[in-house]
Amino acid sequence: MARVIVMGAGISGHTAALYLKRALGRDHEVIVVSPAANYNWIPSNIWVGVGRMDEKQVRFPLRPVYKRLGIEFHQALGVAIRPFGDELGATGAIDITYTDPARAGEAARLRYDYLINATGPKLNFAATPGLGPDANSLSVCTVDHAQATAKAFAKVIKEMKAGAHKRLVIGVGHGGCTCEGAAFEYTFNVEHELRQAGVRDMAELTYLSNEYELGDFGVGGLAFDQQGFVSNSKLWTESLFRERGVAAIVGAHVKAVDPGIIHYELLDGTTGELPFDFAMLLPPFRGVDIKAYDAEGNDISEQVFAPSGFMRVDADYAPKPYEEWSPGDWPKTYQSAIAQNIFGIGIAFAPPHPISRPRTSPSGTMISPAPPRTGMPSGVMGRTVAESIARRIKKGATAELCTASMASMGAACIASAGVGMRHGSAASMTMFPIVHAFPNPGEISRQPRVRLASPATGRS
Amino acid sequence: MPTDANGSARIDSTTEAIANAPLPTPRTLRSRKSIPRQIVRFCSFNARMLRMVAKGHH
Repeated sequence: MARVIVMGAGISGHTAALYLKRALGRDHEVIVVSPAANYNWIPSNIWVGVGRMDEKQVRFPLRPVYKRLGIEFHQALGVAIRPFGDELGATGAIDITYTDPARAGEAARLRYDYLINATGPKLNFAATPGLGPDANSLSVCTVDHAQATAKAFAKVIKEMKAGAHKRLVIGVGHGGCTCEGAAFEYTFNVEHELRQAGVRDMAELTYLSNEYELGDFGVGGLAFDQQGFVSNSKLWTESLFRERGVAAIVGAHVKAVDPGIIHYELLDGTTGELPFDFAMLLPPFRGVDIKAYDAEGNDISEQVFAPSGFMRVDADYAPKPYEEWSPGDWPKTYQSAIAQNIFGIGIAFAPPHPISRPRTSPSGTMISPAPPRTGMPSGVMGRTVAESIARRIKKGATAELCTASMASMGAACIASAGVGMRHGSAASMTMFPIVHAFPNPGEISRQPRVRLASPATGRS
Repeated sequence: MPTDANGSARIDSTTEAIANAPLPTPRTLRSRKSIPRQIVRFCSFNARMLRMVAKGHH
C-alpha cells in the first residue's frame, strides 16, 4: 500500500486529493494536511469583502468531506520536509504541528511514498511598512480579512449617506504583488455597491497597481480577436474605467501605508502620496515558512525552495534577460528539483520568472507584477499531478508523468459584481496560453503571439 | 486626487488614456442587458472553459 500526502487543501491541493482518491481507491492511502479546518473558496472572498456573502457561503468543513471519501485528514501545519528520510529510514517524511484544537501544538512526523506540496502563499504584509489589516489597510485574502473589510466598507457608505465625501483606494500594496485581477474585481464590486447605495457621487475611487499599464493583469496584457480586429486588454480596461468613473495609478510601488495616507513610488522615479478613507491593498506573496532537511538533519532548504520560498520544480531557473525568456522555461510535470516523489503545485511552485516584462524605477525598485497562478490552472495542476502519481503507483516508478505547462494551458477569468439577473454585471475572458511566447523571433514562429480572449461584459 | 512630492495634483498618461478611452455605444449597452443574448453567451463561455480544462493537461 502506497501513501500519498497532500500538504494544503486549497484549490490545487483539494483537487489533487480528490483525484488521487478516485484513482487509487481503498488500495492506497491519501492523507491531507492543512492548518485550516475549512476549505475556503478564496475567489468569493471578494463578495464577502463588500458584504454580499457571509463566511458560510464561501467555506465548508473539510473533515466530513474527507471522512466520507476515505481520505485521512490532519488539521496541522507542515513545518519541515525530509525528502530523504531521517535516522530511522530513507522513506521521505514531513514534520507537522497540529492546529486541531484537540491536539493543538502536538508535533508529529508523517512518512510518505509521494508528497504534493500545495501549501499556497504566505501573505507577506511585512514587505510594506503599515500594510495589512493589523496595520493601516484592509485585505480580502482570507474570510476574516474580508469580513473586517466589509464592516469598514459599510461604515464608509453610512458616512457618505450622511453627506461626507470619501476617498477609496483599491489595489496592490507592493511593487512585486500578484493577483491584480482580484484587486480589479474588488474595485468594480465596490463601485457597483456604491451605486446601489446611492452614494456613487460622494466617492472618489482609485485603483492603485504595480502593472505597467491597465489591462496587464500580470500576464503582459491580452490581445482580443474582436469583430475582426485585434484589440487589447489595455483599451478594454481603460474603457471600463472611464465608463465607471474610476481613476487609476499604475506602475506604482507602495513604499508605506500610514493611517489615512499611502506613500508610493512610480516607475518614472517620482513619488507621491494618496490620501484615503478606505484602502484595500493586496499583499505580495512568498512561500510558506517550511524547512527542508536531509537524512542527517542538515538544512537543505535552499536546494528545495527558491529564495521566494516557493518550491523549485522542473522549471528552468537560470537567470536570463527578458529577451531570452521562453515558454519552455515553465514547468511541465511539477516534479521537485531534488526528489522524484515530491511535486509542487498551485501557488506553491516557484515560477522561473514573471510573465509581464520586468521593470525597475530609476532608484532600482522592481515594479512589476509577479506571475498569477489562478484557480483554473491550479486545479489543472492538481489533477495532472494526481494522475502522474496514480500512474506511478500502479505502473511503477518509471511510468511517464503527465504534463500541464502554463505555456500550453488556458485560463478563464470571470469578474462579476452584484447579484441577480437584472442587478449585476460581469466580464468574462478566456486566454490561451497563459504564458505567451516572449519577443524572441524563434519562439514567435513556434507559438501564436496573439492570445485569444473574448471579453463579454454583462449587464451595466 | 493623488499628489506628487511637492503637493501638486498629478495628471499622468493613464489618466489621459482613461479620459480618451472609447465608450460603449447605446447598442452595446442594450446588448449587455439582453437576457437571451447573455444566456447564450453564458452557455458558450462555459463550454469554452470546459474545453480548456479538458485540454489543459496531457
